Amino acid sequence: MGKILCATRGGEASYRTQDAAIALARERGDELLFLYVVDIAFLNKTERAVRPDVVTAEMEKMGEFLLAMAQERAQKQGVVAGYILRHGDLGEELKAAVRDQHATAVVLGKPAGDESVFALESLQAFAAEIEAETGGQVYIL
Amino acid sequence: MKQNVILRRLLPALLSLGLALALWYGLSLTVAYTEGRQVSLTGRVIDRHGEPVRGAKVSLVLNGHPFGAGAANEPAPPLAESQRDGTFVVDLPAEEVGAIEALVLEISRPHFKSLQWEAGDDEIARLNRGESLRLPDMELSRRMTVGFWVATLTFVAILVLIALEKLHNTMAALLGVAIILGTTFVGGAVSPDLFIFDFERALEYVDFNVIFLVMGMMIVIGVIEETGIFQWLAYQSYRLSGGRAWLLVTILMLITSVASALLDNVTTMLLMTPMTIQIALAMGITPLSLLIPEVLASNVGGISTLIGTPTNILIGSYAGLSFNDFLTKLTPGVLLAQVALTVYVLIRYRKQFLVRGGELSEALLNRLRESGRITRPAKLRKAGLIFGVMLLLFILGERVHLVPAVTAILGAVAMLLWVTPDIESMLKVVDWTTLMFFISLFIVVGSIQEVGLISIITGVIGRLVGSNLTMAILVLVWSAAILSGVIANIPFTAAMLPVVGSLTRTIPGASNQVLFYGLSIGSAMGGNSSLIGASANLVTAGIAERAGYRITYVEFFKIGMPAMIITVAIGTLWLFIRF
Repeated sequence: MGKILCATRGGEASYRTQDAAIALARERGDELLFLYVVDIAFLNKTERAVRPDVVTAEMEKMGEFLLAMAQERAQKQGVVAGYILRHGDLGEELKAAVRDQHATAVVLGKPAGDESVFALESLQAFAAEIEAETGGQVYIL
Repeated sequence: MKQNVILRRLLPALLSLGLALALWYGLSLTVAYTEGRQVSLTGRVIDRHGEPVRGAKVSLVLNGHPFGAGAANEPAPPLAESQRDGTFVVDLPAEEVGAIEALVLEISRPHFKSLQWEAGDDEIARLNRGESLRLPDMELSRRMTVGFWVATLTFVAILVLIALEKLHNTMAALLGVAIILGTTFVGGAVSPDLFIFDFERALEYVDFNVIFLVMGMMIVIGVIEETGIFQWLAYQSYRLSGGRAWLLVTILMLITSVASALLDNVTTMLLMTPMTIQIALAMGITPLSLLIPEVLASNVGGISTLIGTPTNILIGSYAGLSFNDFLTKLTPGVLLAQVALTVYVLIRYRKQFLVRGGELSEALLNRLRESGRITRPAKLRKAGLIFGVMLLLFILGERVHLVPAVTAILGAVAMLLWVTPDIESMLKVVDWTTLMFFISLFIVVGSIQEVGLISIITGVIGRLVGSNLTMAILVLVWSAAILSGVIANIPFTAAMLPVVGSLTRTIPGASNQVLFYGLSIGSAMGGNSSLIGASANLVTAGIAERAGYRITYVEFFKIGMPAMIITVAIGTLWLFIRF
């Protein structure tokens, strides 16, 4: 049995990717893990005093809420899913999670309009990088 | 009889002797006075806008020779320097001066053309009689040096780097300081035209009232924010709203507005945003329909107090406006703007607020409840008490000349001693990067003041508005509002303070400081017009993006620009009513 890692955030665009990952897990009988990465790099955009530890704690709560929503979504579709939460840069943490969890497949969301952070070309390049570095198969769905 | 004769002869002799003695004594007194006396030349140095010029060196050429110089071919050393109000006093000891035949006063200052003033016959005669002179105002003309362009381009580059997010704000400001002081010390040695200002003068521009107030509030907020109060308030709004989105957004806007006024809008949004996203998801509505109204309300609400925004802290310190001044002269206008903003938001998002989402599972509801609880109740009680006392001191302290910076420091120390008595925590909550940003910014803004850029801007605005106060308010508020949407409002406000100060002194009727309140309204409310207009917008967008909800520049502009126009219009109207 393999292990599928699905990097997720939340929002309408993520639901589509989550559903695709859930369907893939059901089809292959694989274990499904949702991943949320807490990244507070946006704090650099402010010149004002902020406490990264307090912001991180709030982002963790939000991340866990979003992961729990994804977990419930999987449960409703008959798939038991777990989740992990990491801190740092999304790209690096995703690769590290694949290695740490011995994931056999990674599901990434296909860019869709304004909601996407990545362009398709850069996402494909990133997928190739993950495959080369970790050996896991990447699906862009 | 014989006695009478003696007295009759003696009396004139005594009187004559007395007179002679008196004359001799009087004469000797005059001589003594003349020997120890000094005459003074007092005057004032101004620029062509009538603004006092500080730091102008005054030297003297007396009877064709540089006064005080070791040799005739040496330049005259400065005898006095003009003060903050432009005044100077040159004292001339009579015994050193001797008889004056010709007197020329030389006034020089970097970034100005040197000026010579020659005493006329009448003035020389008065000086020779031992009279001091009050000289006419000495008007210096600006000179655009290479240093002017270095300082100006550095300031513009900082604004661009911050706006384009190419460098961290503090790094950009520090780079500016390095360029300005480097040019002064390295370039100034090569050519005097590269001199901007020396380090001592640079430090004079740093407003330590602002630094201590920001630092004190930083510690206070740092302690309060870890208690979970913001998250609890957001959760209570959700409960109170009973699933009605329009009511929820109204309550959330009110909370963010008040929290931003009393604490800080960036902190408020940083802590409210994650909770708001969870609430929106729980209610099945798009989080952006709650987040954007919240951040708009936060930017408007922050203006109502002295401590609500850094721009108000800057304005309050520069113009000497107290906590109560903001409370009585600006808060009612902000409340009106807030009401109008809420109505606008309810109309703008009416469709989204009618959507009803699915039921949330018990597990997710429990998570939401858990996220919205007070995490440190004991700490909150203590911190709340201290903050309450601080608010009282902000309001009442004015009567005993207790400046806000001192109140903030007192509150911060109380927090650290009573609530978080831990040196590690103390160092953690003070954001030295922010303090460095302010210090560097003051120096950079000081440099453009020194080289005359501020004077040029003042002149342009002065010509545009003339002596019309209404026009001045309109131009200032709306230009500040529009510019704050594209450039960082803290450097902008810092640069505008001396401009507004000058206009306040020269425009009839502006002495009630109305233009400073106008700057506050324009620079803070203007931040609502674009995503990059305020730090609170950027951090909100940053968190929303990490939850999968991207706030694009266009989307924010479509909602924020009308909000800005509505609130600034009401703010302007308030200024006309109140002043």
